[in-house]
Amino acid sequence: MAGARLAGFLMIAAAAFAPPASQAATPPNMLVIGTDLSLPTLDPAALNARTVSEAVSNLYDNLVQIPPDDLQTVRPMLAESWEVSPDKRSITMTMREGATFASGNPVTALDAAWTIQRVIKLGQVGATDIAAWGFTPENVDSLVKAVDERTLTIDLPEPVSPDLVLYSLAGSSLGIIDRQTALEHEVHGDLARDWLKGNAAPSGAFTLQQYRPNDIFIAQARDDYWDGEPAMQRVIMRHIPESGSLRLQIEAGDVDVGHYVASNDLAAFAESDEVTIQNVPGFGFYYVALNMKDPDLQKPLVRQAFQHMMDWEALSRSSMRFYGFPWQSIVPKGMAGAPEEMTTKFNFDPERAKELLAEAGYPNGLRKTLYPAGAAHLENAEAFQASARLAGVELNLVPGEHVPDFRARTFEVYMGNSGARLPDPFATAMHYAFNPDNRDEANLGGYYLWRVAQEAPELLDLVERSKTETDPQARAEMFAQMEAHYQTMDPALIVFFQRTDPYVVRNEVKGYQGHPAWSTRWAKVTKE
Amino acid sequence: MVTAAIARQGWGISPGGYRRLFGRVFSVAVTLLGLLLLTFSMGRLLPADPVLTVTGAEVDRETYERVYRELGLDRPVWEQFATYVGNVLTGDFGRSTTTGHSVASDLLTVFPATMELAIVAILCGVLLGVPLGIVAAVNRGRLIDHVARIVGLAGYSIPIFWLGLMALFVFYAKLQLVGASGRVEVFYEGMVTPVTGLLLLDSAMDGQWDVFRSAFAHIILPGAILGYYSVAYISRMTRSFMLEQLSQEYVIAARAKGVPRRQVVWRHAFKNIRVQLVTIIALTFGGLLDGAVLIETVFAWPGLGQYLTRGLQFNDMNVVMGAVLVTGILFLTINTISDRLYRILDPRTR
Repeated sequence: MAGARLAGFLMIAAAAFAPPASQAATPPNMLVIGTDLSLPTLDPAALNARTVSEAVSNLYDNLVQIPPDDLQTVRPMLAESWEVSPDKRSITMTMREGATFASGNPVTALDAAWTIQRVIKLGQVGATDIAAWGFTPENVDSLVKAVDERTLTIDLPEPVSPDLVLYSLAGSSLGIIDRQTALEHEVHGDLARDWLKGNAAPSGAFTLQQYRPNDIFIAQARDDYWDGEPAMQRVIMRHIPESGSLRLQIEAGDVDVGHYVASNDLAAFAESDEVTIQNVPGFGFYYVALNMKDPDLQKPLVRQAFQHMMDWEALSRSSMRFYGFPWQSIVPKGMAGAPEEMTTKFNFDPERAKELLAEAGYPNGLRKTLYPAGAAHLENAEAFQASARLAGVELNLVPGEHVPDFRARTFEVYMGNSGARLPDPFATAMHYAFNPDNRDEANLGGYYLWRVAQEAPELLDLVERSKTETDPQARAEMFAQMEAHYQTMDPALIVFFQRTDPYVVRNEVKGYQGHPAWSTRWAKVTKE
Repeated sequence: MVTAAIARQGWGISPGGYRRLFGRVFSVAVTLLGLLLLTFSMGRLLPADPVLTVTGAEVDRETYERVYRELGLDRPVWEQFATYVGNVLTGDFGRSTTTGHSVASDLLTVFPATMELAIVAILCGVLLGVPLGIVAAVNRGRLIDHVARIVGLAGYSIPIFWLGLMALFVFYAKLQLVGASGRVEVFYEGMVTPVTGLLLLDSAMDGQWDVFRSAFAHIILPGAILGYYSVAYISRMTRSFMLEQLSQEYVIAARAKGVPRRQVVWRHAFKNIRVQLVTIIALTFGGLLDGAVLIETVFAWPGLGQYLTRGLQFNDMNVVMGAVLVTGILFLTINTISDRLYRILDPRTR
C-alpha cells in the first residue's frame, strides 16, 4: 500500500516537473551562437578579442564597411560617400540621411567625430589601429571635425595611404556611438567609459537587451534600422566553454553557430551534412620564434636548422586542419604582394637540420626551452618537440601562459600565433618586419621583430615606405619585396601557417559569414 | 526538532562566552588573512601578465604602461596587498578584468547559481546516499551491500567531466529529457527578476511556471551528477554509523524483545546517527559548493566555480582572491554551524 502511494506520488511529481523536451531547433527568428563570452567590456574603444568584436559590430555601425568576401573594397555604411583631397591628406565624408541611433537621435557627423576623438583620447586597445596614422589626444580635435550635421572631415597628421585610414574606420573599435546618450552617463570626464563596458548606445542593427559576462549576451533587432529590420529578432550569444557540450547542442539544433570548436569536434562536423564549417582566413600567422639574444640562436645556421624541424605537413592534417593552412610568407595569402603559391623553403628535413647544427658547431645537438603562448598551442608544441628531437634538438617544454615572456624577450624558443584587424599587409608587416630600435631599453614589446631581437633594416625601410605610399601598384611591389627579402633571410620568426578561424554554421542558417576582421554582421542573416 | 533543541539550549552568551567569541572571531580573521596572503602570493608567482588580459598581446608600449598603472601594478607589492585588504574590509573586492564588473557584484550573481546547484546536489546525495548506507548496513555482506559499495566506488573513480558529457549525450542529445547549457532555456532569459538569486525559487514565487520547468530541466542533470559524487561519501559514512549502532546492546535487546526490524532500524538506530549525519552532510555541502568547477564548465553553469576558473585562466587576481575568500568564509561558517548543531543535538558533547 505504501509502495503504491509512493509510486503515485512519484508519478504526480514527474508530471509536475516534467521538463520540456529540449528544443528541436531554435525559433526561425532567433539566432543562437555558442561561444566564449569572457568579454571584459562592450566598449568599442577597448576591444581586444574576436567574440566581443562580433558583438560590438552588430551594436554599432561604422562609417564604412569592408565586406567579408571582398576585403579590398571599402563600401558605404553610415557615411554615404567620401572624397579624398588631391594631396591625399584629407578625407571628407557625407553622412547618411535618415540613419538613427537606438535612442531615436539622428546619426550626425558630430557623433562620428566624437567617436573617433574618443577612441584616440581614451588610448585603449581600440586606438591601436587608427593611432598608427599619427593621431594623438592633442591633435585629434583639430584634425577630425564635423563641418555640419552631415559633413565630416578627417585631416591626416602625416602622409599616409588614405586606404589604410579607411580600412581603420571599418574596424569594430570605430563603431559610431550615440554621443548624447553616452555623455548622459559620463562620470568624472571618463567619456562614458565605465558605462559603455556593460551598456550600449547603438547605431547598428541591434540593440543590447541583456549582457552577463561568462553567461549570456542578448541583442534585439531594431525595427527602425536604416537598412531595414533584420530577419533575426533576437541574437543570443551563449557562453559554452566546453567544446563537446557545444557540439551536442549544435547537433541537436539548440545552437545555430559555434565558435571555438575543438579540432576533434570539427573533424566530426566535417562528416556531417547538417552543418558547414567556414574556415575564414585571418590576417595572422602561426610561427616559431627564436630569441636572438641567445648566443646559440644568434647563429644563422642554427636558425636555418630550426626551419627544417617542424613537420608542418603532419600538423596540417591534424591539429591545424581547421585552424590554419601551410603558409611560409609574412604577407597573407591573396593580399597585395603575396606569393601565388606557398614556398616550401622550410621543408621538414631532420637530417638536413642535423647537418646544419653540426656545421654550426653542435654535432651533439642542442638543448633549449620551448614556451607555448598558452594552452591552445600545447598540442602543436608537443608535436614540434617530437619532430625537433629527430634532429637532435631537445626542447624542454614549459606549459603555461607565456606571452609576457615573449614580450619581454625572456624566452629561448616560443610558439604562438598573431592576429590583425586591418585587411592590409601593412598590419602583418608591423609585426614581422618592423623593429626600429633593437635596444633593450627601447622596450618595443608591441613589435614581434623586436621581441626576437632581430634587426632587418631593409624590411624596416620597406614598412615605413608602404605606410605613406598611395599608389596601389607601388605598395604591392613593396610587399612583394618584403616577401622576397624574408625568403632570403634566416628569420627568427619562422612562419609555418596562416591563421584561419573556424565557424560551425547549421545549414538552415543563411547569410552568416565569418569575417576575417571579426566584424561578422547579423543584419542579413535568415533561416530557412 | 532542531529548532526546539536550539530554543532549549539558546544562543545566549554566557559570562565567559565573550572571550571565547572574541577568540573565535580572531582565529577566523587570521585564517582569512592567511588565505588572502597565500592567494595573493601565488598570483604574483604565476607566469602570466594581468595587463595583457585587458589589452591583448599586440598592445603598444604606451597603452601597456597606462593599463599597468591603472591596475596599480606599479606600486610595491606589500602596498598592493595592504590596499586590497583595506578595500575588502569596506566590501570593495576590486574590479574584474575579465568581466569588467566589480567583483562584489559578480559574486552576488554567481554565488546563488552555485548555491542552487549545490542544494539540488546535496538533496540528490542525501536522498540516495543515506538510504543506500542504511540498506547496506542492515544487509551487511549481502548482494545489496556489494552493490552499494560499487555505486560508491564509481562515485569516487569516474571522472566527473566524462560522466557529465556522457549524461548530456544520453539525457539531452538522445532522450531530449533535459536542457544543456546555462540555467534556463534562452527564450526565458531575463523573464524573472532575481530576488534570492535561486532561479527555481524566484520563478515559483513569481508564478512563472514555464520558467520554473525550464530551470528544473536545466538543473536536474548537473545537480544529480554533482550529487552522485557525494553519494559515495554519505553512504559509506551512513553505513559505518549504522553498523556501529546495530551492534549496540540496546539494539540487540530490542530485537530480542520482538520489536520489528524496521522499527529498530528507523526509530532506534537511525535516531542515534542523525547528529553525526548532520555534520557529514554539512561538510559535504561545503565541498559541493567548492567542487562544482568541472560540472559548471561542462554545463556552462554561470556559477562560482566557473567564475573562479576563468579568473585563474586569465590571471584575474581580484576574481581569484574574491572567490577564494568567499569559499573560505563559507567553509568556516559551515564548520561553525555544524559544530554548533552537533553540540546542540548531542548534549554529551557540550
